[in-house]
Amino acid sequence: MQFNAGLTGEAATLARQHSEMLARLPATVHALILVELQKWPLLFGPEQRYQRALLEHLSGLSRRELDQMAAGVERIETDAGVNRLGERNPSRFQDDAQALLRKRGLNVAWRGSVDGFFQRVDPVLEAQLYPADAPRRLVVQLYGGGIAVQREKLWSRFKGAGVRVPLNLEGANGTERFLEALFGAREPGRRVPALFAGAVESSPFDAWLIESHEALHALCETSETSGGKDRGPSAGALTGLSYDRLRVYRDDLTRALNRKIQSGVESPQAFAAYARSLQLVPPAGTLLYSAEVLLAFVRDVLLTGNGTLLMNNTFVEWAAIQALRRAQPRILVTRFGVRDKLKPFSSMVLFSQPRASDHNPVVQDPVGSFIDVEQLSYYVWLNAEKNAAYRQKTLYLFLAEGVDEMLAIRSDTPAATPSGMAPARVADVYATMAGWLGVPVPGTSGRPIGPLVGP
Amino acid sequence: MADWWLPRRLFAQRTADRRKPERRVIVVTFGGGVRYEDTLAREGWVNIPHLASELVPQGLVYPVARHEGLTGHFNSTGALVTGSRQNVDAYGSEAPVTPTIFELFRKEHALGPEEAWVIATNKSFGLMGGSKLRSFGDPYSANVVLPKQLLISTIKAAVSTEAGPGVEDRQALAERMMLALDEGYEGFGWKVFESGRVLGAELKASLAKSLLDYFNDPATPTSGDELTFFMTKEIMNRFAPSLLVVNFWDIDIAHYGAYSLYLEAIRRTDRLVHELWQHARSLREYRDRTTLFVVPEMGRDSDVAGNGFANHRSGDESCRRVWLVALGAGVPKGAGTERPIKTMDVAPTVARILGFNMVECEGKPLAELAF
Repeated sequence: MQFNAGLTGEAATLARQHSEMLARLPATVHALILVELQKWPLLFGPEQRYQRALLEHLSGLSRRELDQMAAGVERIETDAGVNRLGERNPSRFQDDAQALLRKRGLNVAWRGSVDGFFQRVDPVLEAQLYPADAPRRLVVQLYGGGIAVQREKLWSRFKGAGVRVPLNLEGANGTERFLEALFGAREPGRRVPALFAGAVESSPFDAWLIESHEALHALCETSETSGGKDRGPSAGALTGLSYDRLRVYRDDLTRALNRKIQSGVESPQAFAAYARSLQLVPPAGTLLYSAEVLLAFVRDVLLTGNGTLLMNNTFVEWAAIQALRRAQPRILVTRFGVRDKLKPFSSMVLFSQPRASDHNPVVQDPVGSFIDVEQLSYYVWLNAEKNAAYRQKTLYLFLAEGVDEMLAIRSDTPAATPSGMAPARVADVYATMAGWLGVPVPGTSGRPIGPLVGP
Repeated sequence: MADWWLPRRLFAQRTADRRKPERRVIVVTFGGGVRYEDTLAREGWVNIPHLASELVPQGLVYPVARHEGLTGHFNSTGALVTGSRQNVDAYGSEAPVTPTIFELFRKEHALGPEEAWVIATNKSFGLMGGSKLRSFGDPYSANVVLPKQLLISTIKAAVSTEAGPGVEDRQALAERMMLALDEGYEGFGWKVFESGRVLGAELKASLAKSLLDYFNDPATPTSGDELTFFMTKEIMNRFAPSLLVVNFWDIDIAHYGAYSLYLEAIRRTDRLVHELWQHARSLREYRDRTTLFVVPEMGRDSDVAGNGFANHRSGDESCRRVWLVALGAGVPKGAGTERPIKTMDVAPTVARILGFNMVECEGKPLAELAF
């Protein structure tokens, strides 16, 4: 199948270099790869590295090996008549092929077959892209104050995993003091707290803060507004997404979607295509660091994640999972908060903009929020552990503000460890994270918690 | 209340029917996709107190039921009412491709349209009432009512502009509802196969008033399923249809990613199923002659192998593993069987109960029930 993908730059070069191999692939897999290459400027570094490795690996296979791997997909394509499709645009070809596969009742078989294809490829690529001696990673998940934590149920999803560390919260009461003690204060001339400043190596995408409210963002200085002539916009910055700070952008998106609904939508697919085409961007100062790839990421999170436009904690979870999968930051911090109660029949006015007189008062749901975040933080952990970038090399910390206990899971020793530890100070947790990452944080009074940072 | 909101000429049609069976069947989809672990598994009983402690002991439980086929709402419910896997548009723009129990039932017994109803919270179920097959289709389809969608459309219209009274003026809201019904009821919420397929003025007025009363009541208007329940009771009271499929769907709020709201919806569905059964037992037309089936049309993704409770498209086992509870006429009390069944078995079972021939399908009648 010959496609017209309209590629430019490095993506075009890659497609040209591997054109012979691509032409031998089943048409749907060929189109799948080209669609990814079309997104090249909006792919994060790890995604680009994966695509390069994928093409090189497939080109390195013998014709017989490749044909064997592709046979299952080829057979289903033939049965469905996919090869008779005339569409040359890979994206539209995908849509047509999916419609055809569905019509013939072959879409489930096709999906299984394509999964099988990549299950043979991915272990090889993972070993290459994520060697055992790759740098350690850190994922911290925080429950903000106000969530009605039930101690007897706290982190109950993590049955048999990790170690419960008692905490001494003296001197770390209140959100601001707690977070400063946890991540270190911002040093003069720095945009971000000490732990992050030490860990952000080459790119603002090395460290991500994703939260429902703004407490983590309050620890940082927005690169867009710093204005220092001696610093580039990305120097010392990190990536931050706040559901609350994105309010204006969310409202803009909601209004645009509402207008489209009011004017008529021919199909869910057409609606999704319209949503993808929206050129709206968050106002200046909304993000800690702003780049094209990040703007596209935020838009996708809000438009493709179930409930992310409506539920703050769902936004946090989905954005975190997508960041882990796509950008693979070295540090990820999530902070969940209290969500509002859903109003009766809220879907009636989901995409409309009712007048103030039509509003019911906003009521918070601290109890429901606890049930939600228990599940959502678990999903973030599960998804991280499904990712080769994080398996075996990540320290996961779970903390709830105001709770004198922490759950720590080392992904290389995930089994539950009997606690029996002396209470640790929040400064010790800070030193532990720094020690785990190998980040120097001079001047801290904290001491690393031995079992968590040892070999 | 029911006296005024449905047209007398529809009511009068009942006397013309001579072949109405003695038995009644109500199929309730515990709908929106629900996981076994969150419901019938021991750890899920806390979410279904009425089913677990009151209904299951009165009936027969099949803890090992499976949904085959596509794991979308329309196709999974379509499989339930046809006995065969369906593979049509997931958003309801196509009808089932094999005959539904409504068409088969009505055609064989020569029954009028008031004998088979679908009352659905899911807005995409407008075509669930029948196939488009030449020898079946609209003349034999079920009446389909989408009460929530009707109300939503009206409210949306009322609040979408700065002009006008908004939703606080109830009289204006009633007028909006009338307007909505005039503007194309099939588009959002009301498909009744009357003569000429035109909604009568009396029916329009009474429906609007009925919904308005419902909306005005501060005690009940909290969810689409509450509204569906309300409408189901009204239809039972007025028509006493022999075959009723009730689609509860609030549980699909799981897509918002809020686990607590998902659990809350499960508890609400559990309560509504119980209240529905109580209502059926309170009506002479249903008491002692009705068989109730309660069955999720499908599950939702597992945490580990799938994408979690918020989704149901992975096709993993958790998406497919469901359960079925039957109770009432012809059902042994306090029984249970580990025999694996399929959700597609519901359709041929309904056919046996109501005494009509089922076309060839993938499901098999549930042999544990007395026909």
